[in-house]
Amino acid sequence: MSETAAMPLNYLNVKKGIWSWLFTLDHKRIALLYLYSIGAFFLVGVVLGVVMRLELFNPGRDIIEPQTYNQVFTLHGVIMIFLFIIPSIPAVFGNFFLPIMLGTDDVAFPRLNLFSWYLYIIGALFALSTLIYGNGPADTGWTFYAPYSVKTGTNVSMSVLAAFILGFSSILTGLNFIVTIHRLRTPGMTFNKMPLFSWALYATSWIQVLATPVIGITLMMIIAERMFGVGLFDPSIGGDPILYQHLFWIYSHPAVYIMALPAMGVVSEIIPTFAQRSIFGYKPIAYSSMAIAFVGYFVWGHHMFTSGMSGAAAIVFSILTFLVAIPTAIKVFNWVATLYKGSIDIQVPLLYALAFIFNFLIGGLTGLVLGALVVDVHVHDTYFVVGHFHYVMFGGTGFAFFGALHYWFPKIWGKMYNKTRANLAFALLFIGFNTLYFPMLVLGIMGMPRRYYDYLPEFHSLNQISTVGSWILVVGLLLMIFNLVAGYLKGQKVGGNPWNGITLEWQTDSPPPLHNFDKMPELPAGGPYNYPNAKSE
Amino acid sequence: MSNKDHNSEPHAEHISSYREHFGTWVGLILLTMMTVFISVFGADLRTLSVATALLIASVKALVVGYYFMHLKYDPAIYRIMMGIVMALFTVFLVMVIFDYLTRN
Amino acid sequence: MNHTFTLPNSGHNYDAKASKLGMWLFLYTELLLFGGLFLVYMVYRSLNEEAFLLASFNLDVWMGTFNTVVLLTSSMTVAMSITALQLGDAKKSIMLLWLTIAAALIFLVVKYFEWGAKFEHGLFPGMDHFNTLPPGERLYFYLYFFMTGLHGLHVIVGGIFIGVVIKKIKNKSVNKNRYQLLENSGLYWHLVDLIWIYLFPLFYLIH
Repeated sequence: MSETAAMPLNYLNVKKGIWSWLFTLDHKRIALLYLYSIGAFFLVGVVLGVVMRLELFNPGRDIIEPQTYNQVFTLHGVIMIFLFIIPSIPAVFGNFFLPIMLGTDDVAFPRLNLFSWYLYIIGALFALSTLIYGNGPADTGWTFYAPYSVKTGTNVSMSVLAAFILGFSSILTGLNFIVTIHRLRTPGMTFNKMPLFSWALYATSWIQVLATPVIGITLMMIIAERMFGVGLFDPSIGGDPILYQHLFWIYSHPAVYIMALPAMGVVSEIIPTFAQRSIFGYKPIAYSSMAIAFVGYFVWGHHMFTSGMSGAAAIVFSILTFLVAIPTAIKVFNWVATLYKGSIDIQVPLLYALAFIFNFLIGGLTGLVLGALVVDVHVHDTYFVVGHFHYVMFGGTGFAFFGALHYWFPKIWGKMYNKTRANLAFALLFIGFNTLYFPMLVLGIMGMPRRYYDYLPEFHSLNQISTVGSWILVVGLLLMIFNLVAGYLKGQKVGGNPWNGITLEWQTDSPPPLHNFDKMPELPAGGPYNYPNAKSE
Repeated sequence: MSNKDHNSEPHAEHISSYREHFGTWVGLILLTMMTVFISVFGADLRTLSVATALLIASVKALVVGYYFMHLKYDPAIYRIMMGIVMALFTVFLVMVIFDYLTRN
Repeated sequence: MNHTFTLPNSGHNYDAKASKLGMWLFLYTELLLFGGLFLVYMVYRSLNEEAFLLASFNLDVWMGTFNTVVLLTSSMTVAMSITALQLGDAKKSIMLLWLTIAAALIFLVVKYFEWGAKFEHGLFPGMDHFNTLPPGERLYFYLYFFMTGLHGLHVIVGGIFIGVVIKKIKNKSVNKNRYQLLENSGLYWHLVDLIWIYLFPLFYLIH
């Protein structure tokens, strides 16, 4: 990067060398550390996913043994959930942009922030160490259901310990964000003048702080059971596996909102910028994040409808599950209403945001199907569930992550990627994604169970379509990464505000200076999304 | 949990007196004696004694929180957040036990 | 370009309110960590009421009571040490913190003898006598060892935390005007006490 010498000092060129990164306290550099590590683990997860799809191309054995298959889907789940989706948007874009959007120069606890990243790396190494150490990676599924997780010979203890450490990292990030939002907003920015991304992160952080400890202790109980024979979940010595499921989902259902809420925050940023119009319904969007976080705590039982739960309890959990759809739908309506009569500029980030809405709609509605008792009993543990959560997690959060990457790319590196190639990559990703996962919904309705190595001949063609979709998706992914790397290396330089945004991050240089602002940031008059040139209604 | 702005709150650091801490301690010891006494000498009360033990424990917890942990003198937001956390946990307990009690 | 400009709301400023808020958030996570165990306790006790009652007779109420008093007293000394530092008496503050650490050690020694007695009676998970117990009683002891063990770990961590604070008061980086770290260590110590306040009746006093 010889041309940087001519550039003004910014957070990227103010110090050089590997140590200036590994011991940095700058939230922007920590965000990039997260981006590179999360990106790397994401690719590992993708490879494992592709291996599974290849294996399922034909019934019977194609490329791997059944036992390997079990380990592959477990590791795929552990990596994608704990190493990619949960930290993805908060740890990368939250870390980078939360302080800038609030008009401050760092998070409240910069050292703790770096410590969280190290915890993340340690957890990640533990998770991956099962590949070469012990009796191979866990084969339990990412849910680690007892009693199998206690009895299997594979290296469950290490995977579980990894999840525990990663949870701790996630807690500390959430804690840091909550304190940052409470204490470091720029003078004049009240809660109701914060950008919606901060609101989403605020809700997310509360879930991280208040739900993650429960999984922490549950995983510790699994470790204690495996190492010291403390048989809390083993029915042969009095324990109860159902209780494990309760504890697991008390965290893991709210965790779904840890994954989804930041993505909604990203979409709430992208849409007003590319519609050049004030967001429709600021307060409903902001408060619905809190509502989703709150109601999301009480719905975990819907994962256990088929575990012998009574009708009375199941109905309560089912009703609560349906309640979550209300704040979610409020957001979708507001996004669409924001576009209405806006000066829409169709750029790559907006495409990803629209894809998010499309995919998330399918994911959300299939979620309601699963929340309905009668249907759930039939499609429980089928590919319908697999399709549903991939639509929410990948089609939703994953696409929002890519959207955020394209939206904030010029701010992070001060350069622009090739937009034509980015459009092409988006098209491949969108088509590939839907080709890959839509057949799973159909397969599930037809009765194909999840986590099986083999399947009946009548599922053959749909499985083949799905596998072909995975190839398209991978091509799109590689093209997108190539395009972004090329943009990073020799993209055209851009100014501070290439998209005409008005939240505070667009008031500073691209890339931002070390302390984010060289002068006091100015709050836009009349709210965070009050575009001065917006067409009046 | 919407508007937790305490940038504007006055920086009133209350200093608790030694006497107040000692008084709190005496209260806690008395409560401990009470709960042990009920448990050891009131064995025939059974379930009642478990309920009283938990009730007394909760009173003790409140005393520790209010006086030793300074919640009484902190901005209201700390009491509210604590209340929310405890309410959340109570709902967890209630919903899990509800599931267990209605299983057959 | 103005490189000397710093924002008034910088994340690198000393902010006592921020660290206090952060500490409380951390305490919530600790509460819910133990909360998960209390939930397990509740379910298993409701399923094995008689067995839990029988098993609880193996614990010594008086040792438990003694430890409760020790922890309550240490909570008072740590609270008083904050008062002392706020009033500017660093020496007294340090003395009270040493008393707190002493109480932590007494607590751990008593716990050691209690666990040792269980060990002698073969009531430790995996021992021969233990394996002959009915499932309900085994669950009681699993929970007893797991919960008091985890609590003991917190006692140790809290003691170390207080030790660090003593060092910082000595080199004056924690002082009359800047005592949030002391307050945070106090909050943590009270949390240790709070959890014991519930562990004590649930394990020792249920008969």
